Amino acid sequence: MLTELETKLLGVMMMVIMLGMGASLTYRDFLIALRKPKGVLVGLVCQYGIMPFMGYALAMALGLPPGLAVGLILIACMPGGTTSNIFTYFSKAVLALSIMMTSVSTLVALVAVPALLEFYSGAAGITGDFRIPAGNVAQVLVVLLVPTVIGMVLRKLNPNVGASIELLGGMLGIAVIVFLIISWVPRNYQLLTVTPWYVYFAAVGLGLFGMALGYSLAKLLKQDNNRSRTIALETGIQNGPLAVLIVTLTFTGAMQQEVLLIPVLYSLFIVLTSSAVTVWFRRLSSREAKARDSAKVGALNPT
Amino acid sequence: MLTPTVPLSPQPWRAAYAAAGIVGDLPPPNHASLAALVHSSCVTYAQQIAYTCVVPNGMNGSLTYAQVDAHSDAFAAYLRQTLKLPPGARVAVQLPNSLGYPVVAFGILKAGCVLVNTNPLYTPSEMLHQFKDAGVEALVLIDMFADKLPAVMRDTGLKHVIVASVTEFFPAVPNAVVRGVQRFWSRVLPPIAVPHVRLAAALAQGREALGAASVKAYWGDLKASDTAALQYTGGTTGVAKGAVLSHGNLVANVQQMLAMGATHMTPGKECVLTALPLYHIFAFTANLLGFLSIGARNILIPSPRPVQNLQRAVENYPVTWITGVNTLFNALLNEEWFLAYPPKHLKASIAGGTALHGAVAERWAAVTGTPIAEGYGLTETSPVVSFNPLGGGARLGSIGIPAPGTEVRLVSDDGADVKAGEAGEIWVRGPQVMQGYWNNPGASADILRDGWLATGDVAVMDEAGFMRIVDRKKDLILVSGFNVYPNEIEDVIARMDAVLEVAVIGIPDGQSGEAVRAYVVPNPEHAAAPTAAQIAEHCRKYLTGYKLPKSVVLRDELPKTPIGKVLRKDLKAEVRAEFAARK
Repeated sequence: MLTELETKLLGVMMMVIMLGMGASLTYRDFLIALRKPKGVLVGLVCQYGIMPFMGYALAMALGLPPGLAVGLILIACMPGGTTSNIFTYFSKAVLALSIMMTSVSTLVALVAVPALLEFYSGAAGITGDFRIPAGNVAQVLVVLLVPTVIGMVLRKLNPNVGASIELLGGMLGIAVIVFLIISWVPRNYQLLTVTPWYVYFAAVGLGLFGMALGYSLAKLLKQDNNRSRTIALETGIQNGPLAVLIVTLTFTGAMQQEVLLIPVLYSLFIVLTSSAVTVWFRRLSSREAKARDSAKVGALNPT
Repeated sequence: MLTPTVPLSPQPWRAAYAAAGIVGDLPPPNHASLAALVHSSCVTYAQQIAYTCVVPNGMNGSLTYAQVDAHSDAFAAYLRQTLKLPPGARVAVQLPNSLGYPVVAFGILKAGCVLVNTNPLYTPSEMLHQFKDAGVEALVLIDMFADKLPAVMRDTGLKHVIVASVTEFFPAVPNAVVRGVQRFWSRVLPPIAVPHVRLAAALAQGREALGAASVKAYWGDLKASDTAALQYTGGTTGVAKGAVLSHGNLVANVQQMLAMGATHMTPGKECVLTALPLYHIFAFTANLLGFLSIGARNILIPSPRPVQNLQRAVENYPVTWITGVNTLFNALLNEEWFLAYPPKHLKASIAGGTALHGAVAERWAAVTGTPIAEGYGLTETSPVVSFNPLGGGARLGSIGIPAPGTEVRLVSDDGADVKAGEAGEIWVRGPQVMQGYWNNPGASADILRDGWLATGDVAVMDEAGFMRIVDRKKDLILVSGFNVYPNEIEDVIARMDAVLEVAVIGIPDGQSGEAVRAYVVPNPEHAAAPTAAQIAEHCRKYLTGYKLPKSVVLRDELPKTPIGKVLRKDLKAEVRAEFAARK
């Protein structure tokens, strides 16, 4: 479990991350996104349709005990993570779409996350102490909206401050995970060795299946390859630190330890899997650009 | 009073001046030199912001007019006192748009030295040619390209190197962030293997050497005929030549440009977007000097590609003017953020460098609700020759009327003036016409004839004095003895929604001698790339048979000059190689 100090630190870091996300946004961005709502809608369906259902389905299929199941369902219901923007950038996909999907899903989270959590927890038969009260989740999200709005205002007032915070927030997203690895992994080494395979499968699989399904749905709805890859990354990468924060604010002691396991494992492994996927996407992207080039010139040059 | 069947009367365009509220007689020069122009503006608008440099993530730095004045004084003193350069010494500047640029350029002019604008992307061999030809003694270079220095230093008379960064004069944190990204992430800062001085150190030394003295001692005696800049040009015909532009040429051209734009400018209140590179004569005269002289704020963009780089600048500053080329306007019109929120303070835009396509001009006016005026100029004319009047009477597809103080003749191959409506080569006379090519009397005599500059561009003029460029003389395509002008075909193809950009050239053809080939960049916003058949069908609606493209090549991009002019000569070179290989 996390210490009191670590929980507080995590809370502060989350604030800075959300400040940074706010600084990457303008009011106009939302209005522009609404002009072409299809991309954002696809994103929302992936984020709050596919992912929570998959979390629930995995928990059922693997027959997870209530403590682990609630952790898996929680992480599956989270909005998109700010780190997805960094991975999108490096995979040469559509950065603007990624930022927009992250922000819209974070806004919608206020209503969607408590409702979905309630629904799937009930469906999974989780009762009593393991239920995360919907009010708690909503409160955390409301509190996090404050720094987001402050970030947007700062960017408007001073572009230099805005851009600096934006960068800082993005880097902290990675730093939080490194912080978890350094502080949590050594202390729980023993636990990791006895954790059964299906827990790892759930933690790693959620991200990978999310990407695969997000990509398929995007293709089905006629998004081009680059946009589909963006949606895939965005769907698979959840806001892990937010889930960890919610767990630590809701549970204590051994219960906290149990519920925390899958969100923490997910956060650790998603960095590895998305890095690998990013390298692969980047290669696909470059290869497609080249192929487009030669195909066109060859096919259309009648002389 | 004007009858179309007789030769054009002298200056038929004067009536259009009156109609558009333009003062037709150019006043006498308001400053003896560019140094005087810069200093006077810096005193008048001392506390206002003169230049703001914006990098793609929105980080920025600014200089007020007073700061520009003080820093450029220090740089002038550094050149004259510390480096002991004599008046007239050539100093090359190789900087992207950044706050160092105005400081260094004005410092050189105030020192009475000669500014040699140089493209930062030049290869060492291009630098060698230009520096040797100009006899450059000192160079101000962007640190990102300092790895080219050893090769250049060995073989030229270059003695002093001053190195500047893109974030020169930025506040500490943004400076550290951008430099950190450049150094550790994108790794674009090579080690510098030759002796050099950082710009900040050079300014400190200059400030100390100057003490309480005034740099006016360097520039107070400059005359209009003294050389201000060597502006290299002619990459399209082969070896670059240095156009000698005097202080008088540039002061006059600033006045001419302001005379054309005055109806849409309020001194001290304008904000101009400078996405074109300042080392190019268009932005150098119009933005760096012209808008400075009316106390405007210049928003400098170090790199306008991809065009998304302009988003933060357009969002964060109340842009009232945009100067650009066809490709820039077209690119902006394909950006969603620009279409949703075109700059709401915009008053007018001017397009130069290359033909503004009709489709782009119409859309620009519709999207922004402001006029866009196409103009025409050359490096050899500082550069403005003609412009469409903004205040009314602008004609689509026309390069407008000669700027006040400019005389234009259209001349046939036998040297006689053509009649109204006939095509002839544009000849220009006026205070903006260069002194000649540097150390090249042969080339100077070819282009300067009895005080007239023969431009090599073919145009027609109507009875009201409005000109329309037909094409470059040497880009003409001869199909079965018919003249085909690539501009006309490009304009037709550019009207297709599925087309983003197009360039047309001639290719060898067994039957017709030459045939038309179109290079087309498909519009990525459009569902499918256009096929050759669709393009041919579209062209058949507007063009007669011999003008139709016989071949179509789809490309992801077209070769372009640094300001975005499509390089037909590069496409022609490809075609030569292609046909040589077939033989």
